[in-house]
Amino acid sequence: MAHIQLVGIDKAFAANQVLRGCSLAVEKRETVTLLGPSGCGKTTLLRVVAGFLAPDAGGVIVGGRDITWERPNRREVGFVFQNYALFPHLTVRRNVAYGLAVRRRPRAEVARRVDAALDLVSLTDFADRYPAQLSGGQQQRVAIARSLVLEPQVLLLDEPFNALDAKLRHAMQVELRKLITRLGITAIFVTHDQEEALTISDRIVVMRRGAIEQVAPPLEIYDRPANAYVANFIGRANVLEEGVVAGQVAAIPGLATRRGDGPVAIVIRPENLALGDHGDPGGWRGTIAFAAARGPTVEYEIDIGRDRPLRVVESRRMGCPVRETGTAVTARVVDPAACVLLEGTADGGE
Amino acid sequence: MAGNSLALPTAGRGAGLGRRILYGGGIWPALPAIVYVGVFLVVPMGLLLAFSFLTIERGRVIADSFTLAHFWKALNDALVWRLFWRSLWVAVVSTLCTLLLGYPVAYLYAELSGIWRTLTIVAIMSPLLTSALVRTYAWLVILGGRRGILNQTLISLGLITQPLRILNTDLAVLIGMTQIHLPFMILPLLAVLNARDRRLEEASYNLGAGRVGTFFRVVVPTSLPAIVAGTALVFAISYTNFIIPQLLGGGNYSTLALQVYEQTIVVLDWTRGAVLATILLSTCFLFVFAIVWAGNRLTRWNERAR
Repeated sequence: MAHIQLVGIDKAFAANQVLRGCSLAVEKRETVTLLGPSGCGKTTLLRVVAGFLAPDAGGVIVGGRDITWERPNRREVGFVFQNYALFPHLTVRRNVAYGLAVRRRPRAEVARRVDAALDLVSLTDFADRYPAQLSGGQQQRVAIARSLVLEPQVLLLDEPFNALDAKLRHAMQVELRKLITRLGITAIFVTHDQEEALTISDRIVVMRRGAIEQVAPPLEIYDRPANAYVANFIGRANVLEEGVVAGQVAAIPGLATRRGDGPVAIVIRPENLALGDHGDPGGWRGTIAFAAARGPTVEYEIDIGRDRPLRVVESRRMGCPVRETGTAVTARVVDPAACVLLEGTADGGE
Repeated sequence: MAGNSLALPTAGRGAGLGRRILYGGGIWPALPAIVYVGVFLVVPMGLLLAFSFLTIERGRVIADSFTLAHFWKALNDALVWRLFWRSLWVAVVSTLCTLLLGYPVAYLYAELSGIWRTLTIVAIMSPLLTSALVRTYAWLVILGGRRGILNQTLISLGLITQPLRILNTDLAVLIGMTQIHLPFMILPLLAVLNARDRRLEEASYNLGAGRVGTFFRVVVPTSLPAIVAGTALVFAISYTNFIIPQLLGGGNYSTLALQVYEQTIVVLDWTRGAVLATILLSTCFLFVFAIVWAGNRLTRWNERAR
């Protein structure tokens, strides 16, 4: 049985339906990320697991125990807040000791475990400072130590890297992921940053408007998005509506399908397209509308006479010039097997 | 350069005083307030202080009569010390009462929403719409002798047979003072408790604390700056109030502040009035300073990183 099971969770604030039948199973020692734009309900779902909110319907089962109606202080589920929510009136040491003090553990045990937790996040030298005297990164480590000192089986983290600058953020993502793996904790992260999700997760849960759209490992989500929304949210994608004729996608030679004739939505990653001379057979003809050199790659936007331009990323060799805007070109799929045929339509993009 | 027209108007050499007050930097904009405080606070206070070292007879200052004798006499007067202690403990007890009664109200306000919240703030603020003098008279009516509202109610309910003697006691003064000064305790508490970060409480629950534990471990300590502000404010106005002890304490009841009033207005012994006023104000300042100092010591976590 999965370590954390969320079963059909609904939640509404007044007339606003925030969660719609969210079900999710997280295995022991697994790190899962809830990913979605702001307002998609990901934080609400996490707060339901922590017990800060009661669901309108559905259940939360952790370690085989139904805790849907358990008070938050009896759940033994660690929570790291977005802005850390450190107690401003307590020193770092007493912040970390808080949970143990509440449980009235013996003084010697508290001292030992707090020292160990501070050592774990390398904050021993800052034990007697107040939170206001720490940098953002240090505050985050206090928040993590404060949860970890209670040796939780489950750790919930609500956008924990949001308040950090870009460089520190990446370092802390890697650091925290290693720590969680080492301690064997089951973790659920919440983020709106797809790169962060790709970095830290075993599996990513993509959410939209309160519903779970897809649950899969990072690369699988990237390679095999379930729909146009997921394809656009994780990385960049071209979602094209193409015709199927006799089991073949007309515009993409070599892409066979069992579907009948008619239109089908196809996801093509920009790096799976290559540009050739105008007039080459197959593919899409158009003109280069915009070119951006990124160093190792060049990104093109090709105007192919549809609503959205086609995005193409070409890898670039040293000394190779950027194609000029206005040039007539043909874009062709490199690997037909890497194209994804969607069940639905091309709508629901960016 | 011709493009200088965007620069702020500066207080040039020819600029008048009004111009400087409106546009000049530094303390210039504060000048009207400084003049006002100087004329109506610093000068009278200086005179008051000076009066306590001079001999005044029939409203005239006797020339060259500088002496410490009046002070010395007051400090050796057992009556003055009795008045001082009474002023002090009445102020301390009523301040603690406003804190104990006011904190739950401020906390409740922060938990409420909608119409109940509006009604609560109206209930807190409405006493301030009538003067403290009127409210003190109201307590006179409520607590007053056999025909007072309180005694009549209790007697007609059969709870007591003899009327309670509350008016003209310390208790009446404490009741009046606590009620009349309650808004001044509630308002700073309410502002801070309402704006507090609720996630701290969620963090506390998450770490295993219950509602009561969270209240005393997180809510109360983080509201300490407001407790200090309210306590200092209410202590100062309770310690120096003379209307409430005069009306509710009865003819034989007196405090330091009340004696300042009596000596200056009734007895017309301005020197003694000035001596007592100086003692009252300087000790008040010391106590308030002590409260704020202790508060700052307790809320050192509030300081930003150095």
